[in-house]
Amino acid sequence: MTATPRKLSMKQRYAALTRDLDWDLSYVDPAEAFPYTTFEGITVHDWSQWEDPFRLTIDAYTKYQAEKDKRLYAVLDSFAQSQGHLQLADPRYLNAMKLFLQGVTPLEYAAHRNFAFLARFLNGPGPRFAALCQCEDEIRHAQTEIHTLSNYNKYYGGMHNWHAQHDRVWYLSVPKSYFDDALSAGPFEFLIAIGFSFEYLLTNLLFVPFMSGASFNGDLPTMTFGFSAQSDESRHMTLGLEAIKFLLEQDAGNVPIIQDWIDKWFWRGYRVTSLVAQMLDYMLPRKVMSWKEAFELYFEQQMLGGLFPDLSYYGIKPPRHVSQAMAEKDVLSHQVYWTLYQFSFAAAFTTTIPDEEHLDWLSAQYPDTFDRYYRPLWDKARRVVDSGGRFFYQGLPQLCQVCQIPMLFSEPGDPAMLCQRHSVYRGERYDFCSDGCQWIFDREPEKYVQAWLPVHQIYQGDCGGPTVPDVLAWYGLAEGDSGEYEGSVEQADWKRWHASPAERS
Amino acid sequence: MQYELRTLVIEPRRKTFTNLAERYGDRPASRYEEGSVEIQATENFHYRPLWDPQHELFDPRWSELRLTDPDSFTDPRQYYYAPYVTARAHLHEAFAATLDYLDKRGLLARLPGPWAALLGGLVIPLRHYESGAQMISTYGCRFAYGSTVEQCCSYAAFDRVGNAQLLSRVGLALGDGSDALLAEAKAAWTGAAALQPLRRLTEELLVEKDWAVALTGLDLTDQLLYALAYRHLDEAALLGGAGGYSLIAQHLASWFADQRRWIDALQAAWAADPQYGAANAAALAAAAEQVMPRAQVAVGALAAAADELVGADCGPAVAAAAQAARSTITALTAPKEAR
Amino acid sequence: MTTPTKKVREVGVDLQESEENRAIIEAVEADNADCAVRHMPGLVRITTPGRLVINRTSVESRLGRDWETHEFQLAIVSYFGHIAEWDDDQIVIQWDH
Repeated sequence: MTATPRKLSMKQRYAALTRDLDWDLSYVDPAEAFPYTTFEGITVHDWSQWEDPFRLTIDAYTKYQAEKDKRLYAVLDSFAQSQGHLQLADPRYLNAMKLFLQGVTPLEYAAHRNFAFLARFLNGPGPRFAALCQCEDEIRHAQTEIHTLSNYNKYYGGMHNWHAQHDRVWYLSVPKSYFDDALSAGPFEFLIAIGFSFEYLLTNLLFVPFMSGASFNGDLPTMTFGFSAQSDESRHMTLGLEAIKFLLEQDAGNVPIIQDWIDKWFWRGYRVTSLVAQMLDYMLPRKVMSWKEAFELYFEQQMLGGLFPDLSYYGIKPPRHVSQAMAEKDVLSHQVYWTLYQFSFAAAFTTTIPDEEHLDWLSAQYPDTFDRYYRPLWDKARRVVDSGGRFFYQGLPQLCQVCQIPMLFSEPGDPAMLCQRHSVYRGERYDFCSDGCQWIFDREPEKYVQAWLPVHQIYQGDCGGPTVPDVLAWYGLAEGDSGEYEGSVEQADWKRWHASPAERS
Repeated sequence: MQYELRTLVIEPRRKTFTNLAERYGDRPASRYEEGSVEIQATENFHYRPLWDPQHELFDPRWSELRLTDPDSFTDPRQYYYAPYVTARAHLHEAFAATLDYLDKRGLLARLPGPWAALLGGLVIPLRHYESGAQMISTYGCRFAYGSTVEQCCSYAAFDRVGNAQLLSRVGLALGDGSDALLAEAKAAWTGAAALQPLRRLTEELLVEKDWAVALTGLDLTDQLLYALAYRHLDEAALLGGAGGYSLIAQHLASWFADQRRWIDALQAAWAADPQYGAANAAALAAAAEQVMPRAQVAVGALAAAADELVGADCGPAVAAAAQAARSTITALTAPKEAR
Repeated sequence: MTTPTKKVREVGVDLQESEENRAIIEAVEADNADCAVRHMPGLVRITTPGRLVINRTSVESRLGRDWETHEFQLAIVSYFGHIAEWDDDQIVIQWDH
């Protein structure tokens, strides 16, 4: 009688189909095959300790991803066929999605390339396979975002040149430099920067506002995309959490290195979410929640209240400068949008003064700061508009050397005072918006002095020419992309498309 | 509010994204084009890689082989993510049906002894070759210049793991559900004489710094290996009463036909490039000259071991495949006559 | 004298609200005694203190057909906590420490 063959558990089968494919190199020096695993100071003793919670083999992956895409593209096709864009609550909403396509989609693509880097160079087969799956997921996200927004591009401005604009336009160097920072880092830092800090710590703060905003404002395809991508995101979150726990458990010497990376990448990522803050509070016609509420829920409660107590077991503390982020939640979105309002003539989106109802909502959401510091600014802007003008800033802003956002943030505790810091490195002075950015610079000055700062580059003549029209042409901005929403091309289009037959004849 | 869409015709303001209209003309772009062409950043990088400060984050200089306009290369299969996973879901579904059939008819247990030995000792160990091929392709995904090229590399990488998993599942089936045969297959990959030249070649391609040279070397090796293992031996298996082998091999053979489509197109693009064509052709020819002898030795060793087991004239089959591969490269890279 | 109880942190999962996921939602509700279920537009959020489990057999009995735990991929939108286990029979979400 033959012995009953031992049927493998899912965990064993998964291991047989992934990490067991690995073998010890002997014809070449393993250090030559994996040259980047030690220079960051991280120590791994035993790669076999890496856990694979999701255990998706290629056959299951392709089956379920194909099914998800079938459902998503069915919605996109139906949306296009039915002129679904006409169902938006208000076309002003699309400014949020212009920002998304210009600012976030290219990051998905960059993540695709760099998870390939991890899939090749991490010296452990478990995480290599997980990284390869994420590499594929990220190009899925980049492409489904492009395809989702492609239909809007046909009717509305601000999207048609997203790719070149990500590489050239001033406010887009904020997300671009953030991801370039991660791409230029070593494999372990990238794993913590993006796998953990971005895909776990900050992901809900970025993703949920955009997707909820879509849902509330009649953007069916983006909402559908959001649901569809989120299930991939749960795998990404898992990878990030596994990465950090694995590295912390491997060697006590890894703890301070990882703490530093958590501190750096929280702050860099948090600064990028300034763009989300203003989107939530100012760009969405139908409000989901305030930035303050989002930050309290998705970061303070879920992360500081949930995740970090878990990580304290390893000696990890909440991120340095987190208290400043918490203190800023009452002022952040207002400071950012006020700046974007003044510079949108040079942006691929439009801005406008919030109406009375919107101003009242902001007052109610921010009782300690809005009426005191920001409502007066909008009243002033309103007076300018009522007398036939429209206030745009006649000059170029100073940018923070690290986060590359204009120096618009206020001193901790004093919303009426601009925050300015600086460091001198090799005889040159570099300026920062905050203690957080200064701390990041001082750790790695040789990196940050390389930055391609859009305003510096304009002054150096690298951006198409010496005049504003030269620069805007080089930015690839066309009529209808920029400036003030009232009186804009898309407002006029919207009215025309929604006119009754009587109005049209 | 109800819309009478029959009376309201909304003319789109534009048919696609500006850069695609500039490239292809004022027409709607396909989903492949919108999702694949000109997606990678090409300018104004902020920082140099810590691990390679001589290059930019995306840099054409990571290979000798260049394209003047990388985005002029497009995947003949038009794979962006959605059709890619759909195609591979079908492949794996078909394979699962094959495994199921093999299981129900006991076809693996009924393989003639020599064929079982060939499958277990020479073919299942190729799961590691596929794993190496995956890492080589993944390297191309990160370092190739241009989103259309790297996308092909990324799917090729995923395909190789797929192939490795396919072979592993055969190994599990052959071992009645246990992983005992997989352990033996790894031991063969690591130590059996017939497999060492191939393992050596795989490891050497793994550390080849030029991603395009590595992929070219891998493709040449694939051409010989796939011709042997999944076409020649497929035929021999049918003649030798080992139908189960043929049922497995068909999946890998049809995958390879798909794979070669983009590699053929890329090599043709390299050779025909208006600016770099001649240099690319020379580099391709040199890479082929470098790898081909080693590939022939490596796959030849497998062929010899296969012939010892099943006597199927594998040696001449490999030689013929090598000749065909050489001819193709020669035709592709011959200096163009001056017009 | 009462001993102060340590607050048990919540774990949870967000699922797409759809016909197909009804069986999963019901199975989770049945198998996790202290869970709270909240319905939001298109989404169902299930939270529970400490540990959340999804049992394959429990889903199958409500679904009326075979179900593999991998199918959970199609239902899940997000989760919080740590995926402690995912095998052929169950998925467990909890916090480690």
